[in-house]
Amino acid sequence: MLASFDSHLFWTALTSGPYWRGALTALELTVVALATAVVIGFFVALGALSRLRRLRTLAWIYNWLFRATPTLLQLYFVWYALPQIWGVFAGHWFTPFAAAWIALSLNEAAYMSEIIRAGLLSVDPGQELAGRALGMTRRQILGRVIVPQAVRIVIPPTGNEFITLLKLTSLAFVISLHELLTAAQELASSTFQYPEPLLASLVYYLAIVSALMLIQSRLERRFTFTSRRRRRAAPATAAVPVVSHDAR
Amino acid sequence: MADVVLRAVDVHKCYGDLEVLKGVTFEVDRGQVKVIIGPSGSGKSTLLRCLAMLEAPDGGDVFLEGERLSALGEKQLAPHRSEVGMVFQRFNLFQNMTALGNVMCGLVHVRRLPKGEARQRALELLARVGLEDKASQYPDELSGGQQQRVAIARALVMRPKAMLFDEPTSALDVELVREVLDVMEALAREGTTMVVVTHELRFAQHVASSVLMMDDGRIVEEAPPKEFFSAPKEERTKRFLDLVEL
Repeated sequence: MLASFDSHLFWTALTSGPYWRGALTALELTVVALATAVVIGFFVALGALSRLRRLRTLAWIYNWLFRATPTLLQLYFVWYALPQIWGVFAGHWFTPFAAAWIALSLNEAAYMSEIIRAGLLSVDPGQELAGRALGMTRRQILGRVIVPQAVRIVIPPTGNEFITLLKLTSLAFVISLHELLTAAQELASSTFQYPEPLLASLVYYLAIVSALMLIQSRLERRFTFTSRRRRRAAPATAAVPVVSHDAR
Repeated sequence: MADVVLRAVDVHKCYGDLEVLKGVTFEVDRGQVKVIIGPSGSGKSTLLRCLAMLEAPDGGDVFLEGERLSALGEKQLAPHRSEVGMVFQRFNLFQNMTALGNVMCGLVHVRRLPKGEARQRALELLARVGLEDKASQYPDELSGGQQQRVAIARALVMRPKAMLFDEPTSALDVELVREVLDVMEALAREGTTMVVVTHELRFAQHVASSVLMMDDGRIVEEAPPKEFFSAPKEERTKRFLDLVEL
Protein backbone atom coordinates (compact mmCIF):
# COMPACT_ATOMS: atom_id res chain seq x y z
CA MET A 1 0.00 0.00 0.00
CA LEU A 2 2.91 2.24 0.73
CA ALA A 3 4.06 1.56 -2.76
CA SER A 4 2.28 4.68 -3.87
CA PHE A 5 4.07 6.83 -1.30
CA ASP A 6 6.29 9.29 -3.14
CA SER A 7 9.08 10.08 -0.70
CA HIS A 8 10.59 12.55 -3.13
CA LEU A 9 7.35 14.54 -3.18
CA PHE A 10 7.25 14.32 0.64
CA TRP A 11 10.75 15.77 1.00
CA THR A 12 10.11 18.42 -1.62
CA ALA A 13 7.01 19.48 0.23
CA LEU A 14 8.74 19.44 3.59
CA THR A 15 11.53 21.71 2.41
CA SER A 16 9.51 23.93 0.11
CA GLY A 17 9.08 27.68 0.56
CA PRO A 18 5.28 27.68 0.97
CA TYR A 19 5.55 25.11 3.78
CA TRP A 20 8.27 27.00 5.58
CA ARG A 21 6.47 30.29 5.24
CA GLY A 22 3.13 28.67 6.10
CA ALA A 23 4.55 27.11 9.25
CA LEU A 24 6.23 30.36 10.19
CA THR A 25 2.97 32.25 9.67
CA ALA A 26 1.07 29.75 11.81
CA LEU A 27 3.69 29.95 14.53
CA GLU A 28 3.86 33.75 14.43
CA LEU A 29 0.11 34.09 14.51
CA THR A 30 -0.13 31.68 17.44
CA VAL A 31 2.56 33.48 19.43
CA VAL A 32 1.28 37.02 18.89
CA ALA A 33 -2.37 36.05 19.35
CA LEU A 34 -1.62 34.15 22.56
CA ALA A 35 0.56 36.98 23.90
CA THR A 36 -2.19 39.50 23.18
CA ALA A 37 -4.78 37.18 24.67
CA VAL A 38 -2.77 36.80 27.88
CA VAL A 39 -2.66 40.59 28.29
CA ILE A 40 -6.36 41.12 27.53
CA GLY A 41 -7.28 38.01 29.52
CA PHE A 42 -5.35 39.29 32.53
CA PHE A 43 -7.41 42.47 32.63
CA VAL A 44 -10.66 40.60 32.00
CA ALA A 45 -9.74 38.31 34.91
CA LEU A 46 -9.06 41.32 37.14
CA GLY A 47 -12.44 42.68 36.08
CA ALA A 48 -14.13 39.39 36.94
CA LEU A 49 -12.52 39.46 40.40
CA SER A 50 -13.17 43.16 40.98
CA ARG A 51 -15.18 44.48 43.88
CA LEU A 52 -16.98 46.74 41.41
CA ARG A 53 -20.10 45.15 40.05
CA ARG A 54 -19.86 47.07 36.78
CA LEU A 55 -16.44 45.61 36.00
CA ARG A 56 -17.62 42.12 36.88
CA THR A 57 -20.54 42.52 34.50
CA LEU A 58 -18.29 43.76 31.69
CA ALA A 59 -15.96 40.78 32.16
CA TRP A 60 -18.91 38.43 32.17
CA ILE A 61 -20.30 39.87 28.94
CA TYR A 62 -16.90 39.62 27.27
CA ASN A 63 -16.49 35.95 28.15
CA TRP A 64 -20.05 35.18 27.20
CA LEU A 65 -19.78 36.89 23.82
CA PHE A 66 -16.51 35.33 22.71
CA ARG A 67 -17.09 31.86 24.04
CA ALA A 68 -20.67 31.51 22.88
CA THR A 69 -19.97 32.29 19.22
CA PRO A 70 -17.98 30.14 16.76
CA THR A 71 -14.38 31.16 16.15
CA LEU A 72 -14.99 30.83 12.42
CA LEU A 73 -17.84 33.33 12.62
CA GLN A 74 -15.58 35.73 14.53
CA LEU A 75 -12.90 35.41 11.85
CA TYR A 76 -15.43 36.09 9.10
CA PHE A 77 -16.84 39.01 11.02
CA VAL A 78 -13.49 40.68 11.61
CA TRP A 79 -12.33 40.18 8.03
CA TYR A 80 -15.51 40.96 6.09
CA ALA A 81 -17.88 42.91 8.33
CA LEU A 82 -15.52 45.09 10.34
CA PRO A 83 -14.17 47.09 7.33
CA GLN A 84 -17.75 47.88 6.29
CA ILE A 85 -18.67 49.07 9.76
CA TRP A 86 -15.50 50.95 10.58
CA GLY A 87 -13.40 52.74 7.97
CA VAL A 88 -10.15 52.24 9.87
CA PHE A 89 -10.28 48.57 8.96
CA ALA A 90 -10.63 49.26 5.24
CA GLY A 91 -7.00 50.40 4.95
CA HIS A 92 -4.10 48.53 3.36
CA TRP A 93 -2.68 47.64 6.74
CA PHE A 94 -5.61 45.36 7.35
CA THR A 95 -4.11 42.14 6.00
CA PRO A 96 -5.50 38.64 6.53
CA PHE A 97 -2.77 38.21 9.15
CA ALA A 98 -3.89 41.31 11.05
CA ALA A 99 -7.52 40.21 10.88
CA ALA A 100 -6.68 36.72 12.12
CA TRP A 101 -4.54 38.22 14.89
CA ILE A 102 -7.41 40.41 16.09
CA ALA A 103 -10.07 37.72 15.86
CA LEU A 104 -8.01 34.96 17.48
CA SER A 105 -6.68 37.27 20.24
CA LEU A 106 -10.13 38.44 21.23
CA ASN A 107 -11.45 34.90 21.15
CA GLU A 108 -8.53 33.40 23.03
CA ALA A 109 -8.58 36.17 25.66
CA ALA A 110 -11.96 34.91 26.87
CA TYR A 111 -10.52 31.46 27.55
CA MET A 112 -7.27 32.85 28.97
CA SER A 113 -9.16 35.12 31.36
CA GLU A 114 -10.80 32.10 32.98
CA ILE A 115 -7.45 30.33 33.28
CA ILE A 116 -5.81 33.41 34.76
CA ARG A 117 -8.73 33.98 37.11
CA ALA A 118 -8.35 30.42 38.40
CA GLY A 119 -4.63 31.03 38.83
CA LEU A 120 -5.15 34.23 40.81
CA LEU A 121 -7.77 32.54 42.98
CA SER A 122 -5.42 29.66 43.70
CA VAL A 123 -3.05 31.94 45.61
CA ASP A 124 -3.67 31.80 49.37
CA PRO A 125 -5.49 34.98 50.53
CA GLY A 126 -3.02 35.09 53.42
CA GLN A 127 -0.40 36.22 50.91
CA GLU A 128 -2.34 39.39 50.16
CA LEU A 129 -3.01 39.95 53.84
CA ALA A 130 0.71 39.73 54.64
CA GLY A 131 1.50 42.15 51.83
CA ARG A 132 -1.02 44.67 53.12
CA ALA A 133 0.28 44.30 56.67
CA LEU A 134 3.75 45.17 55.36
CA GLY A 135 2.37 48.35 53.82
CA MET A 136 2.56 47.25 50.19
CA THR A 137 0.05 48.73 47.78
CA ARG A 138 -2.49 46.53 46.01
CA ARG A 139 -0.57 46.87 42.76
CA GLN A 140 2.70 45.84 44.42
CA ILE A 141 1.05 42.84 46.03
CA LEU A 142 -0.44 41.79 42.72
CA GLY A 143 2.80 42.22 40.77
CA ARG A 144 5.33 40.97 43.31
CA VAL A 145 3.44 38.31 45.20
CA ILE A 146 0.24 37.08 43.59
CA VAL A 147 1.04 37.00 39.88
CA PRO A 148 4.40 35.19 40.27
CA GLN A 149 2.62 32.48 42.27
CA ALA A 150 -0.33 32.28 39.89
CA VAL A 151 2.00 31.79 36.91
CA ARG A 152 2.90 28.30 38.07
CA ILE A 153 -0.78 27.33 37.98
CA VAL A 154 -1.48 29.09 34.72
CA ILE A 155 1.36 27.58 32.64
CA PRO A 156 -0.02 24.06 31.95
CA PRO A 157 -3.47 25.15 30.74
CA THR A 158 -1.82 27.94 28.74
CA GLY A 159 0.25 25.27 26.99
CA ASN A 160 -3.03 23.65 26.07
CA GLU A 161 -4.27 26.95 24.72
CA PHE A 162 -1.14 27.37 22.62
CA ILE A 163 -1.77 24.02 20.97
CA THR A 164 -5.43 24.77 20.41
CA LEU A 165 -4.59 28.14 18.96
CA LEU A 166 -1.93 26.69 16.67
CA LYS A 167 -4.54 24.42 15.20
CA LEU A 168 -7.10 27.21 15.03
CA THR A 169 -4.76 29.24 12.84
CA SER A 170 -5.57 26.80 10.05
CA LEU A 171 -9.08 28.24 10.10
CA ALA A 172 -7.61 31.46 8.80
CA PHE A 173 -7.37 29.96 5.32
CA VAL A 174 -11.02 31.04 4.96
CA ILE A 175 -9.86 34.65 4.99
CA SER A 176 -7.08 33.79 2.52
CA LEU A 177 -4.23 33.70 5.00
CA HIS A 178 -1.43 31.53 3.62
CA GLU A 179 -0.62 29.28 6.50
CA LEU A 180 0.55 25.69 6.76
CA LEU A 181 -2.62 23.90 5.78
CA THR A 182 -3.09 26.16 2.77
CA ALA A 183 0.34 25.10 1.52
CA ALA A 184 -0.61 21.44 1.88
CA GLN A 185 -3.92 21.90 0.10
CA GLU A 186 -2.39 23.80 -2.78
CA LEU A 187 0.27 21.19 -3.28
CA ALA A 188 -2.24 18.38 -3.05
CA SER A 189 -4.61 19.89 -5.55
CA SER A 190 -1.82 20.56 -8.04
CA THR A 191 -0.29 17.06 -7.82
CA PHE A 192 -3.45 15.09 -7.06
CA GLN A 193 -1.42 13.40 -4.33
CA TYR A 194 -2.76 13.73 -0.81
CA PRO A 195 -0.69 11.60 1.60
CA GLU A 196 2.65 13.31 1.06
CA PRO A 197 1.56 16.96 1.25
CA LEU A 198 -0.64 16.34 4.28
CA LEU A 199 1.95 14.27 6.11
CA ALA A 200 4.54 16.96 5.45
CA SER A 201 2.37 19.59 7.12
CA LEU A 202 1.74 17.20 9.98
CA VAL A 203 5.50 17.03 10.59
CA TYR A 204 5.59 20.80 11.05
CA TYR A 205 2.73 20.78 13.56
CA LEU A 206 4.45 18.01 15.52
CA ALA A 207 7.74 19.92 15.50
CA ILE A 208 6.15 23.14 16.75
CA VAL A 209 4.20 21.41 19.52
CA SER A 210 7.28 19.44 20.61
CA ALA A 211 9.27 22.65 20.92
CA LEU A 212 6.46 24.17 22.93
CA MET A 213 6.34 21.24 25.33
CA LEU A 214 10.05 21.62 25.95
CA ILE A 215 9.69 25.34 26.67
CA GLN A 216 6.72 24.66 28.92
CA SER A 217 8.58 22.25 31.18
CA ARG A 218 11.44 24.75 31.45
CA LEU A 219 9.01 27.50 32.43
CA GLU A 220 7.32 25.30 34.99
CA ARG A 221 10.62 24.62 36.64
CA ARG A 222 11.46 28.30 36.56
CA PHE A 223 8.29 29.11 38.51
CA THR A 224 8.64 26.34 41.07
CA PHE A 225 9.96 28.11 44.11
CA THR A 226 12.64 25.96 45.65
CA SER A 227 16.32 26.64 46.05
CA ARG A 228 17.28 23.25 44.68
CA ARG A 229 15.40 23.69 41.41
CA ARG A 230 13.86 20.28 41.59
CA ARG A 231 13.88 18.27 38.41
CA ARG A 232 10.39 17.10 39.09
CA ALA A 233 7.83 19.85 38.73
CA ALA A 234 5.86 20.44 41.90
CA PRO A 235 2.23 19.38 41.71
CA ALA A 236 -0.17 22.16 40.96
CA THR A 237 -2.08 22.90 44.13
CA ALA A 238 -5.27 24.27 42.69
CA ALA A 239 -7.91 22.83 40.48
CA VAL A 240 -7.97 24.54 37.13
CA PRO A 241 -11.11 24.40 35.08
CA VAL A 242 -10.64 22.18 32.09
CA VAL A 243 -11.97 23.91 29.04
CA SER A 244 -12.85 21.76 26.11
CA HIS A 245 -12.07 23.40 22.82
CA ASP A 246 -12.87 20.93 20.17
CA ALA A 247 -16.07 22.68 19.21
CA ARG A 248 -14.53 26.12 18.80
CA MET B 1 1.14 60.62 81.09
CA ALA B 2 1.93 57.19 79.77
CA ASP B 3 3.41 56.93 76.31
CA VAL B 4 0.59 55.25 74.40
CA VAL B 5 1.59 53.58 71.13
CA LEU B 6 -1.67 52.02 70.00
CA ARG B 7 -5.11 52.91 71.23
CA ALA B 8 -8.52 51.61 70.26
CA VAL B 9 -11.53 53.56 71.44
CA ASP B 10 -14.98 51.98 71.45
CA VAL B 11 -14.22 49.91 68.35
CA HIS B 12 -17.12 48.11 66.69
CA LYS B 13 -16.82 45.65 63.84
CA CYS B 14 -19.54 43.73 62.04
CA TYR B 15 -19.46 41.05 59.39
CA GLY B 16 -22.92 41.19 57.91
CA ASP B 17 -25.32 40.69 60.78
CA LEU B 18 -22.65 39.35 63.09
CA GLU B 19 -21.20 41.93 65.45
CA VAL B 20 -17.71 40.65 66.24
CA LEU B 21 -16.49 43.63 68.26
CA LYS B 22 -19.02 45.33 70.50
CA GLY B 23 -17.19 48.40 71.65
CA VAL B 24 -13.61 47.59 72.58
CA THR B 25 -11.42 50.15 74.27
CA PHE B 26 -7.81 49.18 74.63
CA GLU B 27 -4.37 50.68 74.69
CA VAL B 28 -0.78 49.58 74.82
CA ASP B 29 2.06 51.73 76.13
CA ARG B 30 5.59 51.79 74.79
CA GLY B 31 7.50 48.73 75.93
CA GLN B 32 4.42 46.95 77.22
CA VAL B 33 3.46 43.40 76.31
CA LYS B 34 -0.27 42.84 76.34
CA VAL B 35 -1.54 39.31 76.00
CA ILE B 36 -5.11 38.71 74.89
CA ILE B 37 -6.77 35.40 75.66
CA GLY B 38 -10.30 34.17 75.19
CA PRO B 39 -12.36 31.53 73.42
CA SER B 40 -12.39 31.33 69.64
CA GLY B 41 -14.89 33.66 68.08
CA SER B 42 -14.51 36.16 70.90
CA GLY B 43 -13.07 38.81 68.54
CA LYS B 44 -9.37 38.62 69.50
CA SER B 45 -8.10 38.29 65.94
CA THR B 46 -10.51 40.90 64.67
CA LEU B 47 -9.29 43.36 67.28
CA LEU B 48 -5.71 42.69 66.20
CA ARG B 49 -6.63 43.22 62.55
CA CYS B 50 -8.28 46.50 63.40
CA LEU B 51 -5.14 47.59 65.26
CA ALA B 52 -3.05 46.57 62.24
CA MET B 53 -5.46 48.53 60.02
CA LEU B 54 -6.14 45.44 57.95
CA GLU B 55 -9.82 45.89 58.78
CA ALA B 56 -11.55 49.23 59.05
CA PRO B 57 -13.67 49.48 62.19
CA ASP B 58 -17.37 50.14 61.63
CA GLY B 59 -17.45 52.38 64.68
CA GLY B 60 -14.92 53.90 67.07
CA ASP B 61 -11.35 54.94 66.41
CA VAL B 62 -7.86 53.54 66.24
CA PHE B 63 -4.87 55.76 67.05
CA LEU B 64 -1.19 55.12 66.38
CA GLU B 65 0.92 57.45 68.51
CA GLY B 66 -1.97 59.84 68.68
CA GLU B 67 -2.72 59.88 64.97
CA ARG B 68 -6.27 58.90 64.13
CA LEU B 69 -5.87 56.09 61.59
CA SER B 70 -9.54 55.32 61.27
CA ALA B 71 -9.90 58.69 59.52
CA LEU B 72 -7.53 57.71 56.70
CA GLY B 73 -8.41 56.20 53.32
CA GLU B 74 -6.96 53.01 51.87
CA LYS B 75 -4.20 54.82 49.93
CA GLN B 76 -2.98 56.81 52.94
CA LEU B 77 -3.16 53.77 55.18
CA ALA B 78 -0.64 51.65 53.28
CA PRO B 79 2.48 53.43 54.59
CA HIS B 80 1.08 53.52 58.14
CA ARG B 81 0.56 49.77 58.12
CA SER B 82 4.29 49.30 57.80
CA GLU B 83 4.71 50.95 61.20
CA VAL B 84 2.85 48.14 62.91
CA GLY B 85 4.33 44.66 62.52
CA MET B 86 1.94 41.75 62.13
CA VAL B 87 2.67 38.06 62.61
CA PHE B 88 0.04 35.58 61.50
CA GLN B 89 -0.99 32.17 62.73
CA ARG B 90 -0.17 30.59 59.37
CA PHE B 91 3.04 32.61 58.85
CA ASN B 92 1.89 33.86 55.41
CA LEU B 93 5.43 34.07 54.05
CA PHE B 94 5.57 35.01 50.40
CA GLN B 95 5.94 31.60 48.75
CA ASN B 96 7.72 32.96 45.71
CA MET B 97 10.55 34.55 47.69
CA THR B 98 13.44 33.15 49.69
CA ALA B 99 13.65 33.82 53.42
CA LEU B 100 15.94 36.74 52.63
CA GLY B 101 13.58 37.97 49.90
CA ASN B 102 10.70 37.92 52.35
CA VAL B 103 12.57 40.00 54.90
CA MET B 104 13.89 42.43 52.26
CA CYS B 105 10.55 42.90 50.53
CA GLY B 106 9.12 45.62 52.78
CA LEU B 107 12.38 47.55 52.89
CA VAL B 108 12.76 47.56 49.12
CA HIS B 109 9.17 48.11 48.01
CA VAL B 110 7.66 50.06 50.91
CA ARG B 111 10.63 51.89 52.43
CA ARG B 112 12.36 52.21 49.04
CA LEU B 113 15.77 51.35 50.48
CA PRO B 114 18.58 50.49 48.05
CA LYS B 115 18.87 46.72 47.57
CA GLY B 116 22.32 46.49 49.14
CA GLU B 117 21.29 48.21 52.32
CA ALA B 118 18.03 46.28 52.53
CA ARG B 119 19.95 43.04 52.13
CA GLN B 120 22.34 44.00 54.90
CA ARG B 121 19.55 44.81 57.33
CA ALA B 122 17.53 41.75 56.37
CA LEU B 123 20.52 39.49 57.00
CA GLU B 124 21.01 41.08 60.42
CA LEU B 125 17.40 40.35 61.28
CA LEU B 126 17.64 36.77 60.04
CA ALA B 127 20.69 36.34 62.25
CA ARG B 128 18.72 37.70 65.17
CA VAL B 129 16.10 34.99 64.80
CA GLY B 130 18.88 32.45 64.28
CA LEU B 131 18.25 31.75 60.60
CA GLU B 132 21.12 33.40 58.74
CA ASP B 133 22.02 30.03 57.24
CA LYS B 134 18.52 29.70 55.77
CA ALA B 135 18.57 32.99 53.86
CA SER B 136 18.39 31.40 50.42
CA GLN B 137 15.76 28.79 51.29
CA TYR B 138 12.15 29.12 50.13
CA PRO B 139 9.30 28.87 52.67
CA ASP B 140 8.42 25.40 51.37
CA GLU B 141 11.81 24.16 52.52
CA LEU B 142 11.56 25.49 56.08
CA SER B 143 9.86 24.01 59.14
CA GLY B 144 6.85 25.79 60.61
CA GLY B 145 8.94 27.20 63.43
CA GLN B 146 11.55 28.49 61.01
CA GLN B 147 8.87 30.02 58.80
CA GLN B 148 7.36 31.81 61.76
CA ARG B 149 10.75 33.17 62.79
CA VAL B 150 11.29 34.48 59.26
CA ALA B 151 7.83 36.06 59.47
CA ILE B 152 8.83 37.76 62.73
CA ALA B 153 12.03 39.01 61.10
CA ARG B 154 10.04 40.28 58.12
CA ALA B 155 7.83 42.37 60.41
CA LEU B 156 10.66 43.44 62.70
CA VAL B 157 12.98 44.66 59.95
CA MET B 158 10.58 47.54 59.33
CA ARG B 159 11.33 48.79 62.87
CA PRO B 160 7.65 48.94 63.74
CA LYS B 161 6.28 50.91 66.64
CA ALA B 162 4.42 47.84 67.83
CA MET B 163 4.39 44.14 67.00
CA LEU B 164 1.09 42.27 66.83
CA PHE B 165 1.04 38.47 67.07
CA ASP B 166 -2.09 36.57 66.06
CA GLU B 167 -1.81 33.12 67.64
CA PRO B 168 1.78 32.78 66.40
CA THR B 169 2.28 29.25 67.74
CA SER B 170 -1.14 27.71 67.14
CA ALA B 171 -0.24 26.20 63.77
CA LEU B 172 3.04 24.74 64.97
CA ASP B 173 4.00 21.23 65.98
CA VAL B 174 4.48 21.08 69.73
CA GLU B 175 8.25 20.76 69.58
CA LEU B 176 8.53 23.86 67.37
CA VAL B 177 6.59 26.17 69.67
CA ARG B 178 9.56 26.83 71.95
CA GLU B 179 11.84 28.33 69.28
CA VAL B 180 9.18 30.88 68.38
CA LEU B 181 8.36 31.75 71.98
CA ASP B 182 12.09 32.18 72.68
CA VAL B 183 12.31 34.81 69.97
CA MET B 184 9.21 36.56 71.28
CA GLU B 185 10.49 36.54 74.86
CA ALA B 186 13.76 38.05 73.71
CA LEU B 187 11.82 40.81 71.95
CA ALA B 188 9.83 41.49 75.10
CA ARG B 189 13.01 41.74 77.15
CA GLU B 190 14.41 44.26 74.70
CA GLY B 191 11.42 46.48 75.32
CA THR B 192 9.43 45.82 72.14
CA THR B 193 5.84 46.98 72.34
CA MET B 194 3.76 43.87 71.73
CA VAL B 195 0.16 42.72 71.57
CA VAL B 196 -0.09 38.95 71.55
CA VAL B 197 -3.16 36.81 71.01
CA THR B 198 -2.24 33.36 72.25
CA HIS B 199 -3.24 30.27 74.14
CA GLU B 200 0.24 29.97 75.63
CA LEU B 201 -0.71 30.90 79.15
CA ARG B 202 2.77 30.31 80.48
CA PHE B 203 4.11 32.87 78.05
CA ALA B 204 1.43 35.26 79.33
CA GLN B 205 2.44 34.59 82.94
CA HIS B 206 6.12 35.18 82.38
CA VAL B 207 6.19 37.94 79.83
CA ALA B 208 2.98 39.96 79.86
CA SER B 209 2.67 43.39 81.42
CA SER B 210 -1.02 42.67 81.58
CA VAL B 211 -3.40 39.98 80.41
CA LEU B 212 -6.79 40.65 78.85
CA MET B 213 -9.72 38.31 78.68
CA MET B 214 -12.02 38.72 75.69
CA ASP B 215 -15.42 37.17 75.27
CA ASP B 216 -18.27 37.83 72.90
CA GLY B 217 -16.74 40.94 71.33
CA ARG B 218 -15.84 42.65 74.58
CA ILE B 219 -12.90 42.89 76.93
CA VAL B 220 -14.09 41.19 80.07
CA GLU B 221 -11.14 41.74 82.32
CA GLU B 222 -7.64 43.18 82.28
CA ALA B 223 -5.09 42.63 85.01
CA PRO B 224 -1.37 42.05 85.61
CA PRO B 225 -0.61 38.33 85.06
CA LYS B 226 -0.15 37.45 88.73
CA GLU B 227 -3.51 38.83 89.66
CA PHE B 228 -5.17 37.61 86.48
CA PHE B 229 -4.19 33.99 86.95
CA SER B 230 -4.33 33.70 90.74
CA ALA B 231 -7.37 35.81 91.49
CA PRO B 232 -9.48 36.55 88.43
CA LYS B 233 -12.35 38.85 89.26
CA GLU B 234 -14.78 37.88 86.53
CA GLU B 235 -16.75 34.66 86.46
CA ARG B 236 -16.14 34.35 82.71
CA THR B 237 -12.37 34.48 83.19
CA LYS B 238 -12.51 31.84 85.93
CA ARG B 239 -14.51 29.49 83.74
CA PHE B 240 -12.09 29.98 80.84
CA LEU B 241 -9.00 29.44 82.98
CA ASP B 242 -10.54 26.30 84.49
CA LEU B 243 -10.88 24.86 81.01
CA VAL B 244 -7.43 25.75 79.80
CA GLU B 245 -4.61 23.86 81.43
CA LEU B 246 -1.61 25.83 82.50
